[in-house]
Amino acid sequence: MASGLRMRNYVLRRLLVAIPSLLIASFIVFTLPRLIPGDVVQLMLEEKAYGKDLEDLRAKLGLNRPIHVQYVDWLGAIARGDFGESLWTRQSVLSEVARRLPVTATLGVMAIAVAVAIGIPIGVIAATRQDGLLDFVARSAAILGLSVPAFVTAIVVTLLPAIWWGWTPPRFVAFSKDPAGHLVQFILPAIILGVASAAGIMRLTRGMLLEVLRQDYVRTAWAKGLRERVVVLKHALKNAVIPVVTVLGLQVATIAGGSVIIEWIFGIPGMGQFLVDAIVQRDYPVIQGINLVIVTIIVVTNLTVDVAYAVLDPRIRY
Amino acid sequence: MSRRSVDHDLSRRQVLKAGAGALALAVTGPQLAASPAEAQTPKRGGTLRLTVITDPLHFDPHQTISFATMVPLSFVYSRLLKVKAGPSVKPMTYPLEGDLAESWTQPNDTTYVFKLRKGVRWHPKPPVNGRELTADDVKYTYDRFLSIKGNANRPVLETVEKIEVLDKHTVKFTLAEPNAWFLDHLASTSTWIVAKECVEKFGDLKKVESAVGTGPWMLERWEPNVRLMYTRNPNYFVSGLPYADNVEVLIDKDPASRLASWLAGKTDFAPEYQQCVRWLELPLAKQRKPGLQTAEYAWFTSGSTGIKLGNPPFGDIRVRRALSRATNQAEIYESLAFSQGNWVPNPAVPAAHAEWSIPIDQLGPEGRKLYEFSIPEAKKLLAEAGFPNGFKTTVEAPGTGYGPDFDDSVQITLKNWKEAGIDAQLQLKEYGAFISSTIFGKFDQMFLGLRGAWTDPESYFYRIFMPGQPLNVMGVNDPKLTEMIKLQRRTLDVPKRKQIVFDIQRYLADQALFGSNGSVRVVSAWDAHIKNFMPNNGFDYGGRMMAAWIDK
Repeated sequence: MASGLRMRNYVLRRLLVAIPSLLIASFIVFTLPRLIPGDVVQLMLEEKAYGKDLEDLRAKLGLNRPIHVQYVDWLGAIARGDFGESLWTRQSVLSEVARRLPVTATLGVMAIAVAVAIGIPIGVIAATRQDGLLDFVARSAAILGLSVPAFVTAIVVTLLPAIWWGWTPPRFVAFSKDPAGHLVQFILPAIILGVASAAGIMRLTRGMLLEVLRQDYVRTAWAKGLRERVVVLKHALKNAVIPVVTVLGLQVATIAGGSVIIEWIFGIPGMGQFLVDAIVQRDYPVIQGINLVIVTIIVVTNLTVDVAYAVLDPRIRY
Repeated sequence: MSRRSVDHDLSRRQVLKAGAGALALAVTGPQLAASPAEAQTPKRGGTLRLTVITDPLHFDPHQTISFATMVPLSFVYSRLLKVKAGPSVKPMTYPLEGDLAESWTQPNDTTYVFKLRKGVRWHPKPPVNGRELTADDVKYTYDRFLSIKGNANRPVLETVEKIEVLDKHTVKFTLAEPNAWFLDHLASTSTWIVAKECVEKFGDLKKVESAVGTGPWMLERWEPNVRLMYTRNPNYFVSGLPYADNVEVLIDKDPASRLASWLAGKTDFAPEYQQCVRWLELPLAKQRKPGLQTAEYAWFTSGSTGIKLGNPPFGDIRVRRALSRATNQAEIYESLAFSQGNWVPNPAVPAAHAEWSIPIDQLGPEGRKLYEFSIPEAKKLLAEAGFPNGFKTTVEAPGTGYGPDFDDSVQITLKNWKEAGIDAQLQLKEYGAFISSTIFGKFDQMFLGLRGAWTDPESYFYRIFMPGQPLNVMGVNDPKLTEMIKLQRRTLDVPKRKQIVFDIQRYLADQALFGSNGSVRVVSAWDAHIKNFMPNNGFDYGGRMMAAWIDK
């Protein structure tokens, strides 16, 4: 079978597997929020919970129906592109997600870019200077990066410049109002998020590269008299970064989780803050909508990673 | 001298110190370090910049009791009466004045007639478009307030039987029974006058576009989780006010970020609730901000211990007394970053209600003892109640939501209880679950939480100890107490009512239905260039900032 056809079949098979994954995920994201203790109707009515009011509101919100009926209705609505309304604000979940997703996506993409830009070059340098001063410094920095939680760095970066120089990171400004300012505001949070991920990438790159550099084909390359840059970057690195690509796929989930607290500290109105608020308020349609979007992104990312794997290493076929 | 007796002596001294602080607050009023603005000519213009700690849930004042909604609405709406604001009003006092009401009369015990200001116009925004406010708007608002499903503030006006429009600018309220607190209740920050057109157009008032009022500023923009922007209402009914053209309210949930914004000059007021700054951070703020103005006063909010009177052993008064004697408020408030030892003891009506809160030294002898921490006395009381070796129980508390200071206070409380022999197993509940179930009485034995920010003193005993009230989670049904509560509500003569309210607090302490308790003595702070401002308890940020001006 031709290589292109095999690849197409592979992608199709992976897409078919993704559908039941998404269905199972949709069931989980629908049922789990309802298992959290606390009743959204009582939360909405707060301390004066008149008995009849509770029942009326529950009926109005459609929460008095059997859960499987609610699930099927919700799934049908999702298929029609209707994510429902927030129980609290009556805003459309889809429009809220559409407004916040680009914010979190920008932060996530910039954080991954920072992680790659820092992690891979330093990993390469550390591997090629094994046990030297540069390697020692790089490994120490990586351990520091892994050890210090992003929220601690964020608080320090927010507070100390304000005390010393009266400076704070810029507050959120929408892209439509100030495109340059919009991007600039993400730099600091993206660096903080990215550095934590970069540490892991650096260590993995270093380890994999050291392993590859000891293989026969690399020794052959050295024997042919190729320059170090060519041996390392052209012959060794391509094979060494294959596991790194896998890790990058996983980093999407990690950064999505880390962005919750970073958005909180830097006042960035992304999906993270939206999700935390929704959980506290038991706003089921919002929790379900956001989680479904996140699950979909992660499934698609992993699919992309699998395909990238096959492209990077032609030997890999499933 | 044994360690315990040292603890006892220290604690008594500390409590006395705190009590002296409370007494000083009550006698001299709060401590103020604000620059006099009266001699200066107010300047028009500029933007007042402040932070709030959470995003509004929505914008319908009849669908929530949350400060997260009421504070943003305080810039937009008016009500019939309001708590007076400005530098002449000392924090912890709550004098009333007309807001939309120009005057009012009380022909009999159950009737109030309000004359509205003439020429008051709604904000020039759709769908109301600046039409004149009339008595019909008042009737529409309170009919909705009392009839809409899910208005948690309904008890505020539950004695209202009928509202009648007498003419375009006159409205009559008839109560089902005399209620001496009616005017105070009417000045609550839940009673904003809303526009019928907004409800009809939007279905309810939850959407930001529906926030159209008659208040000093118009809500121009809400960027969720980022900021609220207000512009001056050009037709505001108080001539010349407000002075500031704009208000920018930054929504910032992170305490470090909020503090940083203030220190860096991005906001004009201290970053915590009611423009407070943590005592721990006050020296730094003073160093960074020359001429910083401050006011110290007691907060309404305090800890709350809930017990099930119907469940043994809490029906035994000696056990309840032991719980109070084993609670060390001084240790709690000295250990917290927010208070740093600045606190006042509270009887049932918190000390922040300076006029209605009974001084601790005027409680009965048994009541006073509840405020004296003593492990040996607690043990003795438990032994008398038949628990010489103490007892085991469970206590629910929110795992998150009230912040790290509250979490620390729970740990200190449990440690001291355990020392007295009360082995309370902590059951952490998710915050949402806690506020939707535990505070309504869905707990086994005990809970630790926070209690109210009500601006009227009556709510602190009516809502909590009156049979049938949703917050009477202890199950109190004491005929003598109930009669006293009813009597004070019927007593229009203020000095007489005050005596009854004092008696109620004495009785609650004597019965150990309300014991050891305290509130933080907070410090509000604002920049040197902000003039004519004074903080106070309550959600009415807009009312207090209306006459503030910026000297830049």
